Amino acid sequence: MEIFHILAILFRIVMNKTILHLDLDTFFVSVERLLNTELRNKPLLVGGITDRGVVAACSYETRGYGIHSGMPMKMAKELCPEAKVIKGNAGTYSKHSDVVTEIIKESVPVFEKSSIDEFYADLSGMDRFFGSYKYATELRQRIIRETGLPISFGLSVNKVVSKVATDEAKPNNQLKIDFGLEKPFLAPLSIKKIPMVGDKTYQTLRNLGIRKVRTIQEMPVDIMQRVLGANGTVIWRRANGMDSTPVVPFCDRKSISTERTFDRDTIDVLKLKGILMAMTENLAYQLRRGNKLTACITVKIRYSDFNTYSKQMRIPYTSADHILLPKILELFRTLYSKRMLVRLIGIRFSHLVSGNYQINLFEDTEEALNLYQAMDHVRDRFGDRCVFRASAMGAKTIGRMHNPFNGQPPIVLAHRKQ
Amino acid sequence: MKFIVSSTYLLKHLQVLGGVINNSNTLPILDNFLFDLKQNELTVSASDLETTMSSVLKVDSENEGTIAVPARLLLETLKTFPEQPLTFVVEDNNTVEISSNHGKYALAYADGAEFPKAVELANPSSTVIMGDILATAISKTIFAAGNDDLRPVMSGVFFQFSSENLTFVATDAHKLVKYQRSDVSASQVAEFIMPKKPLNLLKGILAGSESEVTIEYNDSNAKFSFEDTELICRLIDGKYPNYEAVIPKENPNKLTISRNQFLSSVRRVSIFSNKTTHQIRLKIAGAELNISAEDIDYSNKAEERLTCSYQGDDMQIGFNSRFLTEMLNSLGADDVSLEMSLPNRAGILTPVDGLDEGENITMLVMPVMLNS
Repeated sequence: MEIFHILAILFRIVMNKTILHLDLDTFFVSVERLLNTELRNKPLLVGGITDRGVVAACSYETRGYGIHSGMPMKMAKELCPEAKVIKGNAGTYSKHSDVVTEIIKESVPVFEKSSIDEFYADLSGMDRFFGSYKYATELRQRIIRETGLPISFGLSVNKVVSKVATDEAKPNNQLKIDFGLEKPFLAPLSIKKIPMVGDKTYQTLRNLGIRKVRTIQEMPVDIMQRVLGANGTVIWRRANGMDSTPVVPFCDRKSISTERTFDRDTIDVLKLKGILMAMTENLAYQLRRGNKLTACITVKIRYSDFNTYSKQMRIPYTSADHILLPKILELFRTLYSKRMLVRLIGIRFSHLVSGNYQINLFEDTEEALNLYQAMDHVRDRFGDRCVFRASAMGAKTIGRMHNPFNGQPPIVLAHRKQ
Repeated sequence: MKFIVSSTYLLKHLQVLGGVINNSNTLPILDNFLFDLKQNELTVSASDLETTMSSVLKVDSENEGTIAVPARLLLETLKTFPEQPLTFVVEDNNTVEISSNHGKYALAYADGAEFPKAVELANPSSTVIMGDILATAISKTIFAAGNDDLRPVMSGVFFQFSSENLTFVATDAHKLVKYQRSDVSASQVAEFIMPKKPLNLLKGILAGSESEVTIEYNDSNAKFSFEDTELICRLIDGKYPNYEAVIPKENPNKLTISRNQFLSSVRRVSIFSNKTTHQIRLKIAGAELNISAEDIDYSNKAEERLTCSYQGDDMQIGFNSRFLTEMLNSLGADDVSLEMSLPNRAGILTPVDGLDEGENITMLVMPVMLNS
């Protein structure tokens, strides 16, 4: 009996992973409160302040009013008129996120930054030296002490269960799910808690009469597959606490993109073209700064009726403005066929490889190349919005401050994470 | 219609002509060889509509007639025969019967009249050049020609004839080769763009050939005749880019290095470069050339140092290693020189030695824009 017990413990140590999930609570709100202490304990909303804006983060005080991130700001303001609304600044949040990242980086063997306020760390094997739970607790205390930002964590055998555990622990708390207790832990929760179950899937499952994770656990996997296809299998596995995705320490960007939703739908083609040019110029600069080339470009349009169209084109590898701009505008011309108001436009560069622009003997002049190089040099020193084409001047706020090729995930607003 | 011909003699000619025939043809008749018999002369032709090549063979016959024989079937059969006389007899039921020492083979043939006629050149100009010189000119330039369907003029080799010299140019806008012979000249000034396919055929046939090639040309077609063979092809229509204007005149930075050493270093280092862009970096300072490459995605990295003789400012320049290896490979010299001015202007590669009298070759390679 004794031997079996020891073997069981050994098996657990050898075969099982220990995955930690850390999530900064109401991150944008917490940062704002750190900068301005007057905002503490008051209802606070961070997000777009125009009518089209959405809530990117909301303090716990506002949640009682039924406000959640992703909700239109207009609706949130109606629900809670006394809430203070802040536009927010992605650059500031990035900086605070980096401080947290630094602390985690020097404390754990492998970590993955899955978004601006979320981290996974693989603590497998550390049980032999430290108690993983104790270690994680101390790490959390240290982050709170050094940054002043509230953070929660979940600790279990895999990423999915840890993430759900963090969600349950919040706000500003921690939770450990012991080995073997994953299923009972998940069973009483709503199916909405499973990462991947969004509004659509939730509706489909609710229509089947499924409300709690327990029901899915008791279902055979092929029924889930029949209802939801390949995703059904994944959701079923997650519901059963099974997940084998590893902690990936480096995020390699497969594409870079930018898009813009207008405050008011527009049909002004000149303005749209100006914005597309500004976007192209900016993304092309990001490519050059990261020593990348693209071979596939995409333009996306969403009309006011929410119908979204996109069109892509393969091109020879390039990162030069004067090659990309006409191609983007050409795509836009063929794509923008309806005489209808446009709600959103965006572009994406994909099929990225490392490399620099191959100069063309006949089409590139030395003057143009020198000009591009000088412009890039100015941007490197003074920021990417300090010099641009006059035709792109109308689009004032296109541009981003950070380098997309730093191995970190893109900054995604809280409600867009899935 | 009946004729007797040596099997290996026929095969030798058919194999050359077979190079014209495309693997898949829209016109089924183009899968055939055209046999045109006039007593002791058999003219065999193959065509892909753009290019038509024909050879005159000596055969033993007293008849006349034209038939189109399936090319692949005939070639495969002929390959298996040892040297022996073959008798071709055209039967009435649209088959041609071949009799060998071993037995008989019947092939269905098509009417020779269906075969597209080769174009006749209206008032052509002409020039004569040694077969071997033409083959060399082609092989030195053709690798630099492009493959871009959108820019057809760059997919061929530019022939530029004058009373002083003959010039052959090929470029794909990233690299350029100019091969000039001042020991051969033409009676009139002429310029035309030859497509790659017939040039590759000519290169294969004419390599090492001592015979003279007569080139006749007008605005739309060119004809190459030598010994008993003729090749007629359509020229690429369009204006060739002004290549002289893009060759930089002042290049203060001059690197001279052993071709073999340079080539093998570039080859080795490029194995570690990015698999799509093949980008390498040359750093030149003093008498040292530093070649490096990096593939960030796989953490591969290589660096080599070579001694060279160098005059000019220290500089760093990036190249697609494919271009450099192709160019260095096609040169026969022991030493080469690479002249440069700025990291965003063309590098000019020339052989230091190993050229024939009257031969002149200039290669241009465009760099990639490195971030400083």
